[in-house]
Amino acid sequence: MKTRLVLILSLLLLAISLTAQNYVTRTGYIRFYSEAPLENIEAINRQVNSALNISNGEFVFRLLMRSFNFEKALMQEHFNENYVESHKYPNASFQGKIVNLNEIDFSKPGIYSTIVEGDLTIKDATQKVKQNGTLEVKKDEIIGKSVFNIKLADYNIAIPSAVSRNISPEIEITVEVLLKKM
Amino acid sequence: MKTWAKVLLTLATLGIIAATAVYFFVYNKPHTNFERAKPDFTISAENLYKAFIYDHVAAEKEYNARVIQITGILNDLEFTDDRVFAIFAFGDGMFGPEGIRCTLLDNHNSALSDGDIGKDVTIKGFCSGFTGTDVILEHCSVLK
Repeated sequence: MKTRLVLILSLLLLAISLTAQNYVTRTGYIRFYSEAPLENIEAINRQVNSALNISNGEFVFRLLMRSFNFEKALMQEHFNENYVESHKYPNASFQGKIVNLNEIDFSKPGIYSTIVEGDLTIKDATQKVKQNGTLEVKKDEIIGKSVFNIKLADYNIAIPSAVSRNISPEIEITVEVLLKKM
Repeated sequence: MKTWAKVLLTLATLGIIAATAVYFFVYNKPHTNFERAKPDFTISAENLYKAFIYDHVAAEKEYNARVIQITGILNDLEFTDDRVFAIFAFGDGMFGPEGIRCTLLDNHNSALSDGDIGKDVTIKGFCSGFTGTDVILEHCSVLK
């Protein structure tokens, strides 16, 4: 009986300590930017869910495609209806790991270069990605940043030839998340 | 120039001007005014959340991209940079309380205060979808 109680308490403590290793946000920022001969297009999503487990380096993002806001309503409409088809594929996600976890000291404030590798899923198309970024470690907070490019064709996003000079086939993604200790 | 040619030229010019005007009007059409938008659904906050929890695919088809008016007990207000979130919580998860998160329109940022927490509140907003943890309403206005 006593052994079982100790085991249950140990598991409880372990669960609590693992939970404490999580840093999360529901207000992360992701911007995409397309630079093309006829126009530049920018959209911003500030409702990104993200979680980082500093004990094993697991890093996840999840966002709603309809939370991307454009300057022009027509662009936003075309983005949701014609390109990403938000009614069929409402979410996008990333699930991966920090590759160089051993180079980051989460107990010591500072800015660390990171390499994150994982699966990026948009429109139900999943691609392996490996990107560089930074993690700024603060007291009870971590700021994650990364800028990288993706090819729209890799995610089943087709650009009609009529607007090929309006939309770049490769777009820049900027990620900024302020993760707080849970 | 002959009369028929002048008429043709005038019509062509007017046609080009009209087409350009229509193009720019459509291209620059304003975003929906969600504060004035009529709700597609009026539902309790709890029933909206339950709909997504029980069958998120069916709920996404019904509620995503619609203007929804919800009423429920306000659990919390969250302030980040320039935004205010009204929270209706129905569970707990790795991100903290889970439920419906409503991003208020800028001109409604001060419509709710800590004194409203625990009281019935009605909010109208655009449903962006379900993140797996929360139902997201954006461009929200506080009705009471």
